[in-house]
Amino acid sequence: MLQRLWKVLCSLKLTIILASAATALTIVGSVVMIRYPKTFGMLDEMVLGAWFSRFGHSNYALTGWFWIVCLLFILLGINTLCCFLDWLPKVRYRWRKSGEYLIHLSFILLLIAFIWGSASGDRSQGHRIPVGATLDLAKIAPGYQLQLNAFSPTFSPEGRPDDLPSTLTLFKDGIVVKTGTIRLNHPLTYADLVILPGSLAQQVDGFRFSGELELRPGSIVRQADGTALRVITFLPDVMLRNGRIFPGGAELNNPAFELELIAPGQEPWRGWYLLRQPLPSPLAAAGFALQPIEPLVTWLSILTINRDPGADLALLAAWCMAIGVLFALISFYDKRQRGDAPDII
Amino acid sequence: MDLTRILLPLAFGLYLIAFVLYLLHFKGRQASVAKGAFWSIVAAFALQSFVLGQRWISAGYLPVTNLFSTLFFFSWALAAVYLYFELRYRIRAIGLFVIFLNLLLLGAALPRDPVLKPLIASLDTPLFTLHIAFSFFGYAFFAMAFSLGVLYLLQRIIDSAALPDLYTLRRLNEEAIFLGFILFTLCMIFGSIWAYVAWGYYISWNIKSVWSLVVWLFYGGMCHAKFIRRWQGGVYAGLSIAGFAIVLFTYLGIGLLLSSNHPLD
Repeated sequence: MLQRLWKVLCSLKLTIILASAATALTIVGSVVMIRYPKTFGMLDEMVLGAWFSRFGHSNYALTGWFWIVCLLFILLGINTLCCFLDWLPKVRYRWRKSGEYLIHLSFILLLIAFIWGSASGDRSQGHRIPVGATLDLAKIAPGYQLQLNAFSPTFSPEGRPDDLPSTLTLFKDGIVVKTGTIRLNHPLTYADLVILPGSLAQQVDGFRFSGELELRPGSIVRQADGTALRVITFLPDVMLRNGRIFPGGAELNNPAFELELIAPGQEPWRGWYLLRQPLPSPLAAAGFALQPIEPLVTWLSILTINRDPGADLALLAAWCMAIGVLFALISFYDKRQRGDAPDII
Repeated sequence: MDLTRILLPLAFGLYLIAFVLYLLHFKGRQASVAKGAFWSIVAAFALQSFVLGQRWISAGYLPVTNLFSTLFFFSWALAAVYLYFELRYRIRAIGLFVIFLNLLLLGAALPRDPVLKPLIASLDTPLFTLHIAFSFFGYAFFAMAFSLGVLYLLQRIIDSAALPDLYTLRRLNEEAIFLGFILFTLCMIFGSIWAYVAWGYYISWNIKSVWSLVVWLFYGGMCHAKFIRRWQGGVYAGLSIAGFAIVLFTYLGIGLLLSSNHPLD
């Protein structure tokens, strides 16, 4: 009984049936994929395990085929593994098939790597980070933090972003584990993490005033009599309700500075300066004439941060497959030259 | 002066001459006619290679990024594959069908704009060159297998002395499928590594990637199917034809009709 089952699991016909079924179902399923982008368009946004838990159970009429394709691939993997294990003890006299069986092994490794990554990996896009800031990756990779040291996007003559180089430092529990510059096709990888440039955005973080005066959080303007004006906060958009200031959105709309005025021999004054309104009287009285000219804009790097514990195994599978392919190629010509006839069933 | 606009129609003309000569050879079976066809193909291939080299040098990257350049590269790869089979096995009558396919590819490329545009930054990696080159050589072998499949079925009906025997056609078909699968596997490997460094994942569910997986799976299955006696011959030839339909849809259908991450113009 077990021997018969083993024979079935190792059988070439099973391989062809499974591969044909997976091919045919994927062809049909691809039409469903195109027609229902809301469901299937998210497949690249998240790992497969997360996709299945979010969309896989919602409508089996739509996703049923995908479940079956995945099952067929797992069965194909088992079939391939059995074929490989069946060949392994015969390697001494069937070594000319090494290339083909290396391809089989790499397919199994790739399948394991993909299932591993799909089950315990993660994908996240749209991490906006300004230069100098640190991002806590607790949600994606607990214990990790990411700091953006520099961001210098380059643009084509048409104004399209050409590349998005970001110099990053990755910390684990506060200790630097990797530093590097990422750009298109050059991610930062560490353990199972891969950090890639995603996009860019602009952030207004201050204002330029008449007299080439630039104010950002932390800026201090001193006058000859020792009076100092310190910028505490800048918000690109605020709302005023019952005399109190509330932060609005990230877009430049109703900008405001929270300022502190320190004059010798006087109590410090602290208050808000809404740029659409006149200068607060204590500032005017202290001799400040702030005339807003234009916003000060800095770039934000928008990063994609993925975690795939199976990536290294997948890379090993890729190497294994490439070597297998070359071996198979050599042995193909060798067999043809020797006039070896394959085993026909 | 744009050499592409001058030399490519010349190459097309040479392929056309080769096609006509092969047609005459098919009827009259004169060795000198077949020789003339072969040298016409060699000359056309040399012209195409020169144009490809010149465009590669002036662009600074392998120019296979739009419909014109992919059709051109596909045609060049198909000619190279044909020459490989021709030089290795000297089976000239096969050229009739392959060169007809090549004429279709090059003929479709000729009216299009051959202008070289600057490479977009995301394609500026050796992985792109390897991915694209292996992909089109894989396609070319599948196109060869398609031609051999058609000829196999034709030979079964007409039993012509001008065509190789069924056994030879089957063996050549198996070789074309095997080599196509090997090259397409390399294309998938480099594509996956590129996807990982560009997007952070190595398997994409974009429609093009899904159909590439279908192509790989289909021809992987065919590499196994040759070991089943009942499937050798007619079934295998039929599968070679069906497989090329999948290849064509993956290359042209998705590139032109659907929105994917591999757009063609």
